[in-house]
Amino acid sequence: MSQPMLEIKNLRKVYGSGKAEKVAVEGISLTVPRGSFFGLLGPNGAGKSTTIHCITGIAQPTSGEILVDGVDVVKDYKNARTKVGLSPQEFNVDIFSTPEQLMDFMGGYYAIPHEERWKRINDLITRFDLEQHRHVKFQKLSGGLKRRAMLGRALVHTPDLLILDEPTAGVDVEQRRDLWAYLKEMNERGKTIILTSHYLEEIQYLCNEIAIINHGRIVAQGSKEEFMKDGKSVEERYLEITRADDKEQK
Amino acid sequence: MYTNWIGLYTMFRREVKRTMRVAVQTLLAPVISAALYLFIFGTVIGTKIDDFAGVPYISFVFPGVLMLSIVNASFASASSNLYFMRFTRGIEEMLIAPFSYFEMLVGFVGSAIVRSLMVAFLILAVGMLFGAVSLVNPLAFVFYISAISAIFAMLGIIVALWAEGFEQLTVINTFVITPLTYLGGIFYSVTFLPPLAATITHLNPFFYFADGVRSSMIGYSEANALIGVVVIGGLVIVLATLLTYLFKIGWKIRA
Repeated sequence: MSQPMLEIKNLRKVYGSGKAEKVAVEGISLTVPRGSFFGLLGPNGAGKSTTIHCITGIAQPTSGEILVDGVDVVKDYKNARTKVGLSPQEFNVDIFSTPEQLMDFMGGYYAIPHEERWKRINDLITRFDLEQHRHVKFQKLSGGLKRRAMLGRALVHTPDLLILDEPTAGVDVEQRRDLWAYLKEMNERGKTIILTSHYLEEIQYLCNEIAIINHGRIVAQGSKEEFMKDGKSVEERYLEITRADDKEQK
Repeated sequence: MYTNWIGLYTMFRREVKRTMRVAVQTLLAPVISAALYLFIFGTVIGTKIDDFAGVPYISFVFPGVLMLSIVNASFASASSNLYFMRFTRGIEEMLIAPFSYFEMLVGFVGSAIVRSLMVAFLILAVGMLFGAVSLVNPLAFVFYISAISAIFAMLGIIVALWAEGFEQLTVINTFVITPLTYLGGIFYSVTFLPPLAATITHLNPFFYFADGVRSSMIGYSEANALIGVVVIGGLVIVLATLLTYLFKIGWKIRA
């Protein structure tokens, strides 16, 4: 059996201390198989973004272990980070930079040599139809163009694991479909993708593995087929599971 | 573990782009300030003063003016760069990238040094127009300029990490750096001061910064050079160690 692309063991993340202490994630364990399209679902504040932040280095895990392609993200963080690309939910960019500069700087941070980096940037700009906007400041782009620029930035170093946190928020239907086609094609070529989204039809269309986080814990995990047994949609199953868990928590 | 040279070079490149984007504020403003200092203290007042330490007063003042500009440029560059990145969450770009904590420090400090060197070259050019530039020890000059830039870049980073608002970003500059710089003897000789004030001045690290730059440019020194090198080297080591630790624990930048 091949090495999973991502293994999370007993992840716990606590923000603040004393009276201000808030447990965001409590003992999450998760395995993302290599080559899978993995949907991470959960209500707002459930712990999805915190988990992603711990994987990528934006947050420091309080305890537990995270391995990306077998590499520990805390002990060997530099090596682990070369394997991950992130398109975050919020636009964490210098808004005065252009899409081309965003990709150039990020590719540079990931130590991609100049020639290779610009070949990659030009490919991504073409692929995401950003040619006319490559020199436009990020702040002047529409929501959909911003998302595409963020995705380009996440892909510029050709990561093994691509993490997409709400990548289609604010994107119109046509562009969303186009993006879906691209993501599906990338996954079919072997890229492991983790996707969080509030559009559950998106998860149902794209993902083959799904996990649900609620109140900082994994409350369900399995293949899409397992989720959709009894003829239910992912959305119906999601609501069933989270509502039952909410009742239990009360 | 490999060194991320391309990543570091990219950080420097990005800072040059950022500097050029607001060149009026980052390059032109310090040049105008320096030109005014040189005109007033060098040409208007300086011509009424006899040669000092064997050189015209303008040549005595110029190293201090240059140092003042470098201090301001490196502090402003580092503090605004990092604070802006915290404010816009652009810092996350750095956190997810393969930089060691020490490389992050080198990247931020090096970027600030790049900007302060750009300012320094322009002010040297202005100084040449006023006939105020001489250089008796180029190696020492490069050492003092680089070390002073690094010290104030690191102070700028600490302030950028600590600050919770734009006002706090200027507090240290206004209430600590500016007074200590002006009281560090950039416009006057410590021999002009009463004994107590002269003794206190010797406790001001900025006195050693100004004296070091001046001695490398005109060969005149009022401080013990060894103490100066120890103060400057000690500050570089202490601040670099502190900041590497702060980056490692992710103080104010990593949740």
